[in-house]
Amino acid sequence: MTEMARCPACERAYGSYEGLSTHFSEEAARSDASHIMWLNRNITKDKGRGKELGSLLFEFFDTGKTGLRVWVKQRFIERFFGLKPHPFVLALQHPAKAVLIGYVLEHQHFLRQWVRSLSWVLAKTDRADVVKEELDNIVTEFYGYGDDRPSHYELLIRMGQSLGLSRETVLGTPPLPATVSAIQTWQAIGRDKHWLETMAAMHSLELIANRDVKQDGAKITYFDPQILQNDEITPETKAFLHEGYEADVEHSEVPLEMVERYAKEFGLVEDVQITFLKSVEAFDSYLMARLERGMQFDGRLVAYAGGRAA
Amino acid sequence: MKVRRDGCVICGATWGDYWSEIEGQRMFFCCDVCANEFSNMVTEVKKKTGWESVDEIRMEGNYRGRVCEALSGSQSYTFFISFGDDGSIRNFVERPET
Repeated sequence: MTEMARCPACERAYGSYEGLSTHFSEEAARSDASHIMWLNRNITKDKGRGKELGSLLFEFFDTGKTGLRVWVKQRFIERFFGLKPHPFVLALQHPAKAVLIGYVLEHQHFLRQWVRSLSWVLAKTDRADVVKEELDNIVTEFYGYGDDRPSHYELLIRMGQSLGLSRETVLGTPPLPATVSAIQTWQAIGRDKHWLETMAAMHSLELIANRDVKQDGAKITYFDPQILQNDEITPETKAFLHEGYEADVEHSEVPLEMVERYAKEFGLVEDVQITFLKSVEAFDSYLMARLERGMQFDGRLVAYAGGRAA
Repeated sequence: MKVRRDGCVICGATWGDYWSEIEGQRMFFCCDVCANEFSNMVTEVKKKTGWESVDEIRMEGNYRGRVCEALSGSQSYTFFISFGDDGSIRNFVERPET
């Protein structure tokens, strides 16, 4: 077992996973919500498995067999593309118009935070390859490369316009509370954590649109690629989704390789893991905000929250 | 009121040891957040329906959000509900067309 085990709920460090297991059991015995929620969502809801909790935690955090980059991918895929895919991912397979409207109205806030978060990395890092990677990402996501290659942000707005929303509506609609909360989490990570943790927290999220996730065990991809070929969605929606479909393989894989390399060099593997998990939790909630925004336009979308198609 | 007895009334977990009295009935929850969620859910259903009591709330989904059917006598009421970090209601959508 590794020398240090950090609690993913309260971030206290323990000398072993047995120590962390005891800590979790004590917190659960006093009904602490944050520790129980973490166990429920990541390990087990069954207190009866308490005796094997140490080994379950070790297995969950172990990067020894695969390395940090693959560990991040596996945990991300389990959460969003596993046996119970995220409801927004289910809704996006063949999206109703309201799903896409929810996507546009919440995601413009995400993309603005995206630039802030990557700017925290730029402000704190001393590594030239990291600076170059983050600058390239910011230009692609937010600034663009002229009229031929508009930014992802601009493509999102155009997608909204193709769905009947004005540019003013897209940019002027305040975020839902779950989006606000998620943005606060990412802003706090950028402000308070090591730049490498921020890098992991943000670029891991680009796995959501990575078209290669099925090779790593995902049951489904972000959307059914067929929708890029047929007439289910508008050309502007295709342009937006296609951009992510193409870019997010590189945008997730390259930075995660850097994260793995520097985490070893700096001795930050456990810290990166904990911060990544906090980011994933925020992202999970943020994706629900997209769906809940869509429900304001089409109440039938609630069916996805029960784990079935509308 | 008919509630699950194999774990937390909301999430089914067997961790924790938090008991709360809701609608005059002592119920097991894993934590105070789940207890708040259920209490807020029952209160909201009664407010929306005008019912004096709720016999059962059937739930489908998880922490991300739940599609529920509340029952009172021969009456039924379906809704979607999701919660904030403290168990307050984040979103409540009445009688969705399914």
